[in-house]
Amino acid sequence: MSVGGSAGGAPSAYEPKKLRMYGLVGSIVGIYLGSILNSALNTEVFSFIGALAAIFAVVMGANSVRRVCAYGIGTGVPSIGMLALGMGIIAVMFGLSVAETLGFGMLGPIITLIYAGVFGYIIGVIANKVIKFNIPVMEEGNADLSMAGALAILGWSFAISGTLGYEDIVTDVLMTGYIAIIFIAGGLAILHPFNANLGPDEKQDRTLVNAIMVGGLAMTATGIGALLTQGLSEGLLQIIIGFAVWYYFFKMYYKLVKRDASAVVGTGLLPPTVQ
Amino acid sequence: MDAFSMGLIAAMGALATVAGASEDIESDVGSQSNPNSQVQLAAQVGNPHRIYNKAISGEPPANALWCATAAIVAYTLITAFQMPALMALVAGASVAALFNGVFSMSSYFGRNSSQARFNQWIYLDIVRYTTPSIMAHAWITSFCIATISYIMVYMLPTPHPFPMPIIALIWGLAVGAIGSSVGDIHYGGEREFQNRAFGCGLNTMLSGQIVRKAEAGLRNSIDNAWFCTKFGGPATGMGFGLTVFLDNWRTTVFDPVSQASYAILMGVLFILVEVAYNHYIERSTRRKYGPYPEYKGDVAA
Amino acid sequence: MIFDATTIVYILEIVVGGLLVGVGVHFVPVGGAPAAMAQATGIGTGTVQLAAGSGLTGLLAAGLMMSVTDNIWLVLASGAVGAGIMVGSTMLTGSWIYAYAVGVPFVSAKVTYDPITGFSQPPYIAPGTVGHGIPTVCFVSGLIGGMMGGLGGAMIYYALYLINGNAALSAMFAIGIFMVNAVIASWNIQGTIEGFHDPKFKKWPFAFRACLIASVLLALASVLITGGA
Repeated sequence: MSVGGSAGGAPSAYEPKKLRMYGLVGSIVGIYLGSILNSALNTEVFSFIGALAAIFAVVMGANSVRRVCAYGIGTGVPSIGMLALGMGIIAVMFGLSVAETLGFGMLGPIITLIYAGVFGYIIGVIANKVIKFNIPVMEEGNADLSMAGALAILGWSFAISGTLGYEDIVTDVLMTGYIAIIFIAGGLAILHPFNANLGPDEKQDRTLVNAIMVGGLAMTATGIGALLTQGLSEGLLQIIIGFAVWYYFFKMYYKLVKRDASAVVGTGLLPPTVQ
Repeated sequence: MDAFSMGLIAAMGALATVAGASEDIESDVGSQSNPNSQVQLAAQVGNPHRIYNKAISGEPPANALWCATAAIVAYTLITAFQMPALMALVAGASVAALFNGVFSMSSYFGRNSSQARFNQWIYLDIVRYTTPSIMAHAWITSFCIATISYIMVYMLPTPHPFPMPIIALIWGLAVGAIGSSVGDIHYGGEREFQNRAFGCGLNTMLSGQIVRKAEAGLRNSIDNAWFCTKFGGPATGMGFGLTVFLDNWRTTVFDPVSQASYAILMGVLFILVEVAYNHYIERSTRRKYGPYPEYKGDVAA
Repeated sequence: MIFDATTIVYILEIVVGGLLVGVGVHFVPVGGAPAAMAQATGIGTGTVQLAAGSGLTGLLAAGLMMSVTDNIWLVLASGAVGAGIMVGSTMLTGSWIYAYAVGVPFVSAKVTYDPITGFSQPPYIAPGTVGHGIPTVCFVSGLIGGMMGGLGGAMIYYALYLINGNAALSAMFAIGIFMVNAVIASWNIQGTIEGFHDPKFKKWPFAFRACLIASVLLALASVLITGGA
């Protein structure tokens, strides 16, 4: 609920174009790298690369939430996160299933990305033209969100199942129900950073570090899932790396909080008011 | 319909009532969701405070996360390691509570440091003694809802076709929606503004003037939760308990294969009773409270 | 996969389900943050949150019915009734808090007389507010909206299950389509709405068109997805 001041214009140190490129390239390269290593060496140890790739996508998504919500769209930040994940899950299932039916299993992520981008853009056009928002960044912001949601789901699904094959993902991720945690942890990873740092003195680096921190937490959750689908060693590897990512970036987040807050005190009475 | 399944339905109803109550108290201790807009506004109108500003999305997605986490941990332990169900559910709830702690702290730090220009301080002692209380209530909520999902998938005679984590996700969304609609009114409409006259809604002139100085010392979120456990928490528990119980009771008493239409008619009857009860409360409040004396218009009461 | 008359029927069912969800969101009385402080009429939560909570509870009930029977009317009816019970219990217990804890009568500032009961509204509105509580017209409107949401969710799940036969896949898909339609409808509402008596309700054709486009695209994608091994 953005009462009384959001990021108004969203000043940024990192431009959106650069973050979008890092996000897309980082996650696609990560997913393909993990998949090729896994199938070439006939192992499942490299699934954790998929979870790290998802963190790139999450950072891109968190930044586009910053840009879109700065214009004040009337509903809260949480609905945007749920929308991103709703669009993402359909794109992932569509992309993987069509790639499998056409016979080119490895094309799955590319088809997912194209469908997600096109669908997100169309939703942005609907918002501006049919619902008459007239927000300048709505189309590209929505396309960014949709692609971020789709790649995050794809990365984490790959981390749990170990391959990009459609039947394996359905058996390992959907029938077990692990898609539920991917859906909601991904949604919160995209929407929580901006929502938790909402206010007039919101800074982009603090928001994005928060996104990486939540991504590390989600990686720990997918690691617990991998304990069942892949085995003890692969699961523990993901849990440990996820915990390390979370710990390092939480400490960085706390350092940025101390830099930005007006005062961090052990205890005290009410501060003198500034009117 | 037999004694075992009716017993399970009764257990689900009881667990749902407890889950609803603890979800509401968790959101009151952390000041989550809609009343949090006043806590946010307070600093901006010149009233810095010592209330815990936990802004983790709305309550439905947040509670869906804790419940889904508990469910996947429990599911993994039950299926891969053959752990007994109760131990697995306890372990799952503990992991969910730890996640809750991380999100709550990051939100308190983030929101207060983004209000630096209004001189809103970050109090580390508030973080230290309020966060464990929030985590404890999230433990109760996620344990109860993960257990309900477990019963629905593994123990009922007509098991549910969805996997356990997806059912936990959906019930988490539902308990968050109910807690946000019911219990938060007791916190936002009563306790946050306890220094204004009773018996009327919040006047727009009073926005941001939350109570910051308590009976003895400064008001903090533990004081707010103490008050809300008296009514808001149990009422929310009733809301969620009614939903879970009435929904599942119909399909257990009337066998879904042969007597499905009776189950649906029973549901319609429950809905009609609820409409009538609400109408009765509406008439009763109009009769007993009467119109406001400040009304100067000419519409007859 | 075979593209014939039944596929067209499935696409239509998903589209109609999405439209029911989108328009149903307009019926639910949501007051947002002000309602949680007894400053505005309606339920004190966000539109997407309540629509998601109630519609997905309906989906749960429909999923159970779908596992034992194939009759479309029973599945749809159980989805609608499941969602209706959830919205009804929510509003009823909310009314307890408004009546006994906050101590206010239930009124709306958008009409002078309640369309259903005929009670007069302005003398009972607290000064400085725009209504509070859940009067009977809002309660009935909320039930209609919740049941439409449950009906839409059940219809989407029914069509998806018949296409790919996988309960978990259809459930997550239904959740995704539900979220997209509910968020688009909530953008149209722009925050708060009181039900079908609210002047804002006249904006529903915009959401109808927007959800139609989105649901057609989603339905076309859904029919191409197989059920996996």
